Amino acid sequence: MVSGGRWRFPLQLAPLVAAGLLWEAFGAAGIIPENRLPPPSHVLSGLAEMVTRGLPPGSHLLGHCVASLRRVLGGVVAALAVGIPLGLLMGRSAWLRSLVNPFVELLRPIPPLAWVPLAILWLGIGDGSAVFIIFLGAFFPILLNTVAGVRAIERGLIEAAIILGASRRELFLKVLAPGALPATITGVRIAIGVGWMTLVAAEFTGVKSGYGLGYMIMTARDIQRADQIVAGMLVIGLIGFAMDALIRAAERRLLRWR
Amino acid sequence: MELRVEGVEKGFPGTSGDAGRLILGGVSFAAPDGGIVCVLGPSGCGKTTLLRIIAGLERADRGRVTIGDRVVSGTMREIGYITQETTLLPWRTVLSNVELGLEFAGVSPAQRRATARRCLELVELAGFDGYHLKQISGGMKQKVALARALAVEPRVLLMDEPFAALDAQTRNALQEVLLHVLERTRTTVVFVTHNVDEAVFLGDRVVCMTAQPTRVGKSVEVRVPRPRDRTGPELNALRKELLAFLAEQRLNSRTAPVEADLQPPGAAAGSPGTLPNEARAK
Amino acid sequence: MNRAVVLLLSLALFAAAAPAAAAGEKLRLGYLRSDLHHLAAWVGIEKGFFRDEGLEVETAGIFNAGAEEMSAFASKGIDVGYLGMAPSVTGVANRAASVKAAALANAEGSAIVVRADSPLRQVKDLAGKTVAIPGYASVQDFLLHRALEAAGLAAGAVKIIVVKPPEMITALESSQIDAFIAWEPHATKAVTKGVGRVLLPSSQIWPGHPCCVVAFEGSVARDRPAAVQAFLKAHARATAFILANTEEAVRIGVQYTGMDEKTVRAALGNITYRTELERAPVREYASYLARLGYIKETDPDAILREYLDPAGLVKDARP
Repeated sequence: MVSGGRWRFPLQLAPLVAAGLLWEAFGAAGIIPENRLPPPSHVLSGLAEMVTRGLPPGSHLLGHCVASLRRVLGGVVAALAVGIPLGLLMGRSAWLRSLVNPFVELLRPIPPLAWVPLAILWLGIGDGSAVFIIFLGAFFPILLNTVAGVRAIERGLIEAAIILGASRRELFLKVLAPGALPATITGVRIAIGVGWMTLVAAEFTGVKSGYGLGYMIMTARDIQRADQIVAGMLVIGLIGFAMDALIRAAERRLLRWR
Repeated sequence: MELRVEGVEKGFPGTSGDAGRLILGGVSFAAPDGGIVCVLGPSGCGKTTLLRIIAGLERADRGRVTIGDRVVSGTMREIGYITQETTLLPWRTVLSNVELGLEFAGVSPAQRRATARRCLELVELAGFDGYHLKQISGGMKQKVALARALAVEPRVLLMDEPFAALDAQTRNALQEVLLHVLERTRTTVVFVTHNVDEAVFLGDRVVCMTAQPTRVGKSVEVRVPRPRDRTGPELNALRKELLAFLAEQRLNSRTAPVEADLQPPGAAAGSPGTLPNEARAK
Repeated sequence: MNRAVVLLLSLALFAAAAPAAAAGEKLRLGYLRSDLHHLAAWVGIEKGFFRDEGLEVETAGIFNAGAEEMSAFASKGIDVGYLGMAPSVTGVANRAASVKAAALANAEGSAIVVRADSPLRQVKDLAGKTVAIPGYASVQDFLLHRALEAAGLAAGAVKIIVVKPPEMITALESSQIDAFIAWEPHATKAVTKGVGRVLLPSSQIWPGHPCCVVAFEGSVARDRPAAVQAFLKAHARATAFILANTEEAVRIGVQYTGMDEKTVRAALGNITYRTELERAPVREYASYLARLGYIKETDPDAILREYLDPAGLVKDARP
């Protein structure tokens, strides 16, 4: 951004690289046993193997990434489709809030993963279950942030629009929705984070397509390859990081007016 | 279009057994078609409540508001409203803010763009179309708010201390812009202010409010042709008269709550700072 | 009953050879949840056979999969465990944990199951279908691949997915999978529940195939020979007991699996309980795991050296 921007990223990476070298050295010296935590070099070769041979052999890394991303997006999009309209309505109507809030307060503290057995019962072991579980994790942050976003809009803005002749629909689309957008985006960021974390654990219980990063890690455990378990975790971390960076970029674009 | 305020009363429910408080105690005045009425009063006397009732945002307990031959019962496009705090939409540009009311009215995009541009020109903001609100000053924002209100061609424009947050120089400039605009649009205006200079400079008539429960305590016509000299003898004389009235009201409103809230029963007579006005207020 | 005679003979041999030196030794035991293959462990506990050898055996872990149990070995959370040959060979070959297999727990005892009303009649019919296995590099994974190969199906012809055994029957019932291969009593449970039909028992995939083993954590096998011998003696005695006392074995099986008596009784008939390890099948597991790309160490002889405990019940202990 400003001066030195070109060096900012490499500088941020420096501690990571240093930690990696230290980790490698500890591994080579036998201080960290390989079967507990394999050194980075082994992790990287395990990663390469997931790309070339696949894990289980034949199921390549890209396929796992695509399957997981599809599930997360499906769940988050569903959460947006329900959470935003409901959040806007709840933000505007005290009556609706008092009707829905008890359910929200009751259901929200239940970890999404606690729904796994029910989800499998209702939707089977396919993508439906995973999407449903991610939906549950993503829904509440989006809903609650949107409600808070609407309530934080100054009353004057809403009244001015009403005086200028806004219909109910126009008020929602042109005042409440864009007014709540900053809060909603925060909700989406949280939702994607929660969704991503939930996904991996949800995939541990089995998926029908045989693809998914959680499933891949479970496979690495089945065949007892610690290097590939760590490599899988690394991939999940990197994708999560990339998604958050993407959202922040979108946020900067959408909220340029701030 | 003529605006009439007739015997408007408004109270707020009291807390814990208190009978409640009457804010507006029967306010009546009229603004003739195309006229500018300045409502002047001590702060906290319920000017904003009055304006909100006229705008249709709140209901009067008693009395009524009419424009032309229609009774105001809710918000309507014929009545524009500008407040001290900006109510522009921060995510929209200057131009699209001005277009907002036209969008709600279903005006075609090309036409509303043209209208909005014309209104921005009118308030001397031509060339600021694509600016975001964070990029312009407070005075410019109030000009945008004025342009937005005018774009839908209201018959009555309500202004609630629109220039109060601005510095004196900007305020004067905006007052002149406003007068210039109104010359063209002939909109009826009710302009609430606590600033006597502003009231006598802008108003065809100045309506002075009493302390709570608020009524019209004094109503004077400003028979000074425009352009007016802010420091001329006519305005100065008027200013003097109005300031005296306001000072009196301030005393009333300051002592009344003291007597009610702080003084123990029976101690009122001997307390220091007791003024002749207080006895009269009882 | 020929097997029983062999067993009793080896039992007598141990009784003579092993001194009662295991007095007060403590061993932490692991086994798999509801896996009837591990019945000898439960019998040993219930009938006090471990105690009779002077061992204090404490159940330190009940696992859902062999790979999980191998993790427990790696963290030295258990000293001895019953688990599948495939996951234990995999763990040793991938250096995930050091364990020594010292005895067999059972042979056979798995089956491919399809829906009761399924039109599938033979393994060849599974082409294009979805088949669930309990885990990669499990005995059942191995058996399924072997069955498919024998039926002339290519590796990609069948969609193989992982479903944990308790969920398999539900998944089969709701048609999310077309077939599964699981250890007993899950295969039989599907049948007695009216959901499934056995397409092929594992005894027909590979007659007499070894399945689960008794394995000791590497340092235990090396440093505590007396405890190992005492445990093996109790294990052999428990195995002989199962063969001689079906009724009591069924009762203990019901107690530990939580399943109904009918299922356990039927399932027991599909499992061959014997204790002697052989080298050739281990080699076969190792070469299969290598071929599927599951293991890093692909020299079967090296794996055998690492994996088999020469002091255990191994036929022909020399390489």
